[in-house]
Amino acid sequence: MLKILLPTIMLFPTTWLVSKKWLWPTSLGHSLIIALLSLSWFKWNSDISWDFSNQYLAIDPLSAPLLVLTCWLLPLMILASQNHITPEPIIRQRTYITLLISLQMFLILAFSATEMIMFYIMFEATLIPTLIIITRWGNQTERLNAGIYFLFYTLIGSLPLLIALLALQNNSGTLSMMIMQYSQPSELLLWADKFWWMACIMAFLVKMPLYGVHLWLPKAHVEAPIAGSMVLAAILLKLGGYGMMRIIVMLNPLTKEMAYPFMILAIWGIIMTSSICLRQTDLKSLIAYSSVSHMGLVAGAILIQTPWSFAGAITLMIAHGLISSALFCLANTNYERIHSRTLLLARGIQVALPLMATWWFLTNLANLALPPTPNLMGELLIISSLFNWSNWTITLTGLGVLITASYSLYMFLMTQRGPTQSHITSFNPSYTREHLLLTLHLTPMFLLILKPELIMGWT
Amino acid sequence: MNPTTSTITILSLGLGTTLTFIGSHWLLIWMGLEINTLAIIPMMIHQHHPRAVEATTKYFITQASASALLLFASVTNAWTTGQWNLTELLNPTSATLTTIALALKIGLAPLHFWLPEVLQGLDLITGLILSTWQKLAPFAILLQLYPLLNPNLLTLLGILSTIIGGWGGLNQTQLRKILAYSSIANLGWMIIILHYNPNLTQLNLILYIIMTLTTFLLFNTFNSTKINSIASSSSKSPLLSIMALMTLLSLGGLPPLSGFMPKWLILQELTKQNLIIPATIMAITALLSLFFYLRLSYTTTLTMNPNPLNMSSSWRTKTINPNLLLTMMASLSILLLPLTPAIITTIM
Repeated sequence: MLKILLPTIMLFPTTWLVSKKWLWPTSLGHSLIIALLSLSWFKWNSDISWDFSNQYLAIDPLSAPLLVLTCWLLPLMILASQNHITPEPIIRQRTYITLLISLQMFLILAFSATEMIMFYIMFEATLIPTLIIITRWGNQTERLNAGIYFLFYTLIGSLPLLIALLALQNNSGTLSMMIMQYSQPSELLLWADKFWWMACIMAFLVKMPLYGVHLWLPKAHVEAPIAGSMVLAAILLKLGGYGMMRIIVMLNPLTKEMAYPFMILAIWGIIMTSSICLRQTDLKSLIAYSSVSHMGLVAGAILIQTPWSFAGAITLMIAHGLISSALFCLANTNYERIHSRTLLLARGIQVALPLMATWWFLTNLANLALPPTPNLMGELLIISSLFNWSNWTITLTGLGVLITASYSLYMFLMTQRGPTQSHITSFNPSYTREHLLLTLHLTPMFLLILKPELIMGWT
Repeated sequence: MNPTTSTITILSLGLGTTLTFIGSHWLLIWMGLEINTLAIIPMMIHQHHPRAVEATTKYFITQASASALLLFASVTNAWTTGQWNLTELLNPTSATLTTIALALKIGLAPLHFWLPEVLQGLDLITGLILSTWQKLAPFAILLQLYPLLNPNLLTLLGILSTIIGGWGGLNQTQLRKILAYSSIANLGWMIIILHYNPNLTQLNLILYIIMTLTTFLLFNTFNSTKINSIASSSSKSPLLSIMALMTLLSLGGLPPLSGFMPKWLILQELTKQNLIIPATIMAITALLSLFFYLRLSYTTTLTMNPNPLNMSSSWRTKTINPNLLLTMMASLSILLLPLTPAIITTIM
């Protein structure tokens, strides 16, 4: 555990002491080595117990895939930001990379925390670097509003969570996850217990985001620079899912009745947000709403708490993380060339950038959950378990899959096919860096087709 | 100010607080508070412009009324119980009157109305002394009296203070008024936990003093008193403006900065005492203060040249050199959270 955490912390002095010429290669190289070492977390010795543990940090099959994704994402973020950050003064470049590294450190501590208060503090700690990335390095005036929405939506959900965790510690004596899984489910009969249930869950639902409280996400994703969008889509949303999976074992038997409104919001949100995707003019906004749609499936799955649904939830979280991040990178390749996110302004790109069209194609196929991608495996497990919970959900989730396929295809056809815009006279050809970035996103997805048990959690 | 005058003033400030700290006779404690009030008056008024004179007059009247009320409470206690000892304030009327008098002294809501206007009339260093040093003596009294005070009154003062401190600061553009409302909100947090764990009040007071010291010194270094002029801070000293961002977020109570520590521990203690609803109210109203800290940090650090939409260019007459006190306090106000276990075991 420490063999990954300490090198990550040592990346801070590396960033500040390395000479200007070697800043980007060094940070990229070292974070890639850390990502390679983090693959060792996939070897676990028994199916459901905690591994690699010390007194405060441990890994189990739920957190291992998320941790590997976190460590994998840092070199990808550095690779993606290289083009638009390099013109800035060297100190600001170092500050930017420091913010990315600090996000990685907080995320590693959050996913491997064994105590809920540690998880809470790290969960909140990820807000500050993300806020700084969005508001300082975003490109439009709306980024300030986006930062406020992001911070306040998350905090209004998570401050009651803090109080609920402290109340739980008062009642059960401990907040260590290792012990909590053995505690007796408590009698939860009063109105106050219903509020406690809601306080525990709301923070994670806002983070995921659930459909009714999702307004921060399109703003934050759209206004953030590429590294901010990548980390938000790939990992920060999954913090909500992970937290919910950890806390929901303590919330029985109340979940059976109290989950209904949130299930409705989650499943209806799939339809609503995917439909909005069909009408978007802003490319990044389209990808952001698609994130809400996929995470609605995950939220619904976690709330019903069956083994298949949990496996589907983790699988979809990892697969969606990789693919959503890849889609943002592809949108960024457009943005860096024409400095606009408008979908109509960059049509028919296949003629200009043919190999990029391949990546667009593969990523969009994965987004619409084509077999045999892990996206499909996740969605299939979730849809089946939702069908088991209530037969009627298949209408909504099936419709959602259909609309997802429609907007993914729409996104592909709008950007790649059709007449090339005549106003785009000089389009830089694709950099090798961009191809490498997308390969590094898609290769894990292809490898996961071969061994999906790595990301399926406890089952 | 003439060196002799400033020596007398500063030493009298120290004398007043020390008298209150060491006193166990009510008259001595009252004397210490009065000496504090009188000693800071020359500091507040030495520039003689009308706003400073108005601020000084308001400060003097409110503090004198508070001291008179405190004297009345102690005299009533002496009349009914026959002794002047500090910790034997057994008459409940006297205890309530003492609480209200001390609330007026430090600026707790609903007795906070003087604080923003007084702070606005002072220069930054005098305002710093008003916000930090002048709070020590009343809190010394409160920390010794804590079992005798009415917990309902303290909870009411606390919740009102966080609400008013949060809402009042939202419409302000003057930095000193923002810091006044931030002071009111933080005092609310300190007072609500007084009855259940006075050590947490003390911890919160110390951390609040550190963070306020940092903020005032930062504003003083940038020589700015309005949001307009702090907007140009990132061109004067980018490093200090980053420290300003971190300090403001720490004042707002965001983890993993040290401002989170008192809020976390206070919420934990309130939850243990089964005061869940006050705890939730306090936590949510802290978000109001966070909004104006965040807005301030937007203009200070996160929006930069060449887009100074609300920036007024100013003459730069001195070079920015952070002094040792500023950097020490800034480090403490950002990085203390991991030391929480050590701090808890030391003070509790």
